[in-house]
Amino acid sequence: MPVDLDDSSTVSGDASVSSTGNQNPPPQSAVKKKRNLPGMPDPDSEVIALSPKTLMATNRFVCEICSKGFQRDQNLQLHRRGHNLPWKLRQRSSKEVRKKVYVCPVSGCVHHDPSRALGDLTGIKKHFCRKHGEKKYKCEKCSKSYAVQSDWKAHSKICGSKEYRCDCGTLFSRRDSFITHRAFCDVLAEESAKNHTQSKKLYPETVSESQQKSPAAVDSPPPSPSPPPVSVSVSVESETEPEPANIASSLVLPIQDSSDEPENNTLEVIMEEAPRTIGLNGSDDHSNNNKSVYAALFASSSSSPSLYAASSTPSPSLFPPSSSMEPISLCLSTTGPSLFGATIQDPPPPHFLTPLLPPPPQPAISATALLQKAAQMGSTGSGGSLLRGLGIVSTTSSPMELSSHEAGFGLGLGLPCSSGSGLKELMMGNSSVFDPKQTTLDFLGLGRAVGNNNPGGGGLSSALWGGGGGMDVFGSGELSDKDTGRRSS
Amino acid sequence: MCHAKPQEERLVTHFSLNRTQMTRTRIISPTRFPSLKSQRCGSGGDASFMEQLLLHCATAIDSNDAALVHQLLWVLNNIASPDGDSSTQRLTSAFVRALLARAVSKIPTLFSTFGNTVFQPPADEIHRFSVVELAGFIDLTPWHRFGFIAANEAILTAVEGYAKVHIVDLSLTHCMQIPTLIDAIATKLNKPLLLKLTVVSSASNFPPFINISYEELGSKLVNFATSRNIEMQFTIIPSTYSDGFSSLLQHLRMYPTSYNEALVVNCHMMLRYIPDETLTPSSPSSLSLRNVFLNQLRSLNPTMVTLIEEDADLTSDNLVTRLSSAFNYFWIPFDTTDTFMSEQRRLYEAEISWKIENVVAKEGVERVERTETKGRWLERMRDNEFGGVRVREEAVSELKAMLGEHAVGWGMKKDDDDESLVLTWKGHSVVFATVWVPI
Repeated sequence: MPVDLDDSSTVSGDASVSSTGNQNPPPQSAVKKKRNLPGMPDPDSEVIALSPKTLMATNRFVCEICSKGFQRDQNLQLHRRGHNLPWKLRQRSSKEVRKKVYVCPVSGCVHHDPSRALGDLTGIKKHFCRKHGEKKYKCEKCSKSYAVQSDWKAHSKICGSKEYRCDCGTLFSRRDSFITHRAFCDVLAEESAKNHTQSKKLYPETVSESQQKSPAAVDSPPPSPSPPPVSVSVSVESETEPEPANIASSLVLPIQDSSDEPENNTLEVIMEEAPRTIGLNGSDDHSNNNKSVYAALFASSSSSPSLYAASSTPSPSLFPPSSSMEPISLCLSTTGPSLFGATIQDPPPPHFLTPLLPPPPQPAISATALLQKAAQMGSTGSGGSLLRGLGIVSTTSSPMELSSHEAGFGLGLGLPCSSGSGLKELMMGNSSVFDPKQTTLDFLGLGRAVGNNNPGGGGLSSALWGGGGGMDVFGSGELSDKDTGRRSS
Repeated sequence: MCHAKPQEERLVTHFSLNRTQMTRTRIISPTRFPSLKSQRCGSGGDASFMEQLLLHCATAIDSNDAALVHQLLWVLNNIASPDGDSSTQRLTSAFVRALLARAVSKIPTLFSTFGNTVFQPPADEIHRFSVVELAGFIDLTPWHRFGFIAANEAILTAVEGYAKVHIVDLSLTHCMQIPTLIDAIATKLNKPLLLKLTVVSSASNFPPFINISYEELGSKLVNFATSRNIEMQFTIIPSTYSDGFSSLLQHLRMYPTSYNEALVVNCHMMLRYIPDETLTPSSPSSLSLRNVFLNQLRSLNPTMVTLIEEDADLTSDNLVTRLSSAFNYFWIPFDTTDTFMSEQRRLYEAEISWKIENVVAKEGVERVERTETKGRWLERMRDNEFGGVRVREEAVSELKAMLGEHAVGWGMKKDDDDESLVLTWKGHSVVFATVWVPI
């Protein structure tokens, strides 16, 4: 068998060359059996170096009986069965088959070195084409060209399919990159600044203006770019005034359109912040802590918007805005009628930005009462009525009680769902009783997969657990330490 | 490469006159050492050959053999150019620069020998990114995005039901993971949430370097969170990896989490900077700062800890072992940048070169890059009473989709033995992502 040594000036040792000995004798193949350097992928594998011609040959596997060629070994085997060979000849050689790894025939290439061999023949073929081959396949929509047909096909599928454009003009094909860019893009800051001329400015860029309690409340008329709220309760509208007084209604948030300006949202969480430089201690107002519920309203166009208004489960969020503050929390959270947002009760650690929550003007209403009220209201199509009925929630007076339920809302209701249908709909999925043990809201304890996972879909907050058990806690298994040094393949 | 004539002659003389010397020291066997000429025109040479030269050079440096160091560096410099066509050349060139730095610091007489005319100048001043630039840079390959996606998915699941979420982001990417986390919280958790983000000030001592302060960075993040209707607080704690983040831990102890608050500690390629046992070999393992950190972290009873690290062992005290491990790991980032545009590639490779130089040329506390293998990290986590948690299938599909949008060599594998997810390049392990809860 002709053996074609490829030129290798490797220092590592013994290059012993022997003939292949396998049953598929492609005439031009060159095989060099050589041990890989220790520590490299599978040191016992046999390194096969094929000449470019053989590598790209379409029919490497040849039937010894009729000389028919096949691209794959499996196909050859299937074919051989048809020859009705006597038993002995039918069996393949029983010698142990060594794993084969392949090197690129082009010297100077990274994969030319046996220690960088690839384990897959198809892989090395593709690599060879990609790196050293001619790019015959061109994308119609953009300028990219490919040497490997499957690469070209894969690209064509996604080319131009999704595009995210930042206001600064940059285009992204991946949402992740787009979001990350947006968070830091200066355009965002400017936009927000512009849109909050009347409202209280939150943004910490200017420490000086922090203490202005400009009446900001809700930017009620949605700025023009945003679509009108689906059903904004009347009370909300009236809230335009800076005196936030009581925004009793839950605000059904307008679905933000795909504009990249979520800050144009009508109801925005405006946090009065006292931007402080590091080192200053907490904000003074902080101590009051209202529980403001800040809903997450999602405006992202790419997420299924629906939500809110469409949803049959409006969620009330109430915030006791105080005279100095603005509220908002649009909470379309499906978690129950009252939302208790973060209770910012922690002692003020040195922090930079703190949303200030002004003291709620209203007396506390217990969560239980609220829920019962909500149940009585029944589920309504619009959030407004429900919220109106609920009154304002003030949580400061009974933080503990509320918080206990607060914890529950994340999961469903903190109360047994004995109430009517309205209440049920407010609950997540069809989950039943929420275990009121709030000591550790250990997510592992949640267990149940709660219902549907349709983000934005009926407004019901998705059970992030999705299907299955969620998490398997892995105890102390035996550590499979495959690494002796560098991990390879 | 330019060098003064006399030096060249001197080297040549070395070879011919000192053959016996060379044979005796058995460093490079003449028969296996191809003539210099043939290597000079090689467009890349053999990676293992390059590696051997580098290892010999390392040995020579540590045995104070100035002459041999000089020869080897001269040869290496000839055959490996930082602008070479093949990634192997550029990789080797980065190592050559690192060895040069080491040689000069260990063997002061070489300082005058080398001069700037012979060798390439040491690694360039490292670029300072603007945050927007860094955001783009981070996504050039899945190197970081892999860990971001896996961790964010786990975090989302962990914090469901909590009204407050406190994320301690120990990441070398300066919070680049956070925008997508905020977005995910905003989109998927339909409930109000207070997001507290805490970072440490010492995350700016190694690349990538940014050109704004953390205060500004934080303000942008809060701005973004606000625009997504999430209340957010941003805190910077002055704390350093060199003492195992003791100030951070102390701060966390002082302000313990409330019952309805989730504490998530996200460790993205940062824990490797905490000194490990190899820095203080005489003390017992339990006292290594790395273990102390994990132990104290465990006592805070966090809701979840995510650990994403590079899967390589760069901790060995033995330079040759360490260099070999580094060479057999860092070829990967150099290979992945082959398709990049030249400016991006240059920046990217400069970052890696910084790390290579740190691993090869520095010792003691200056050598901060002490990456450990996945196996070792898993052992540590388990020793400190953490249990591994499997990432959900949805995350796996998201990861695969993301990988599909990058170059073809990227892949991933799930290790059934230990619930980890591993990012691979052409089959070789690159980065592992694990999720832990206290047990």
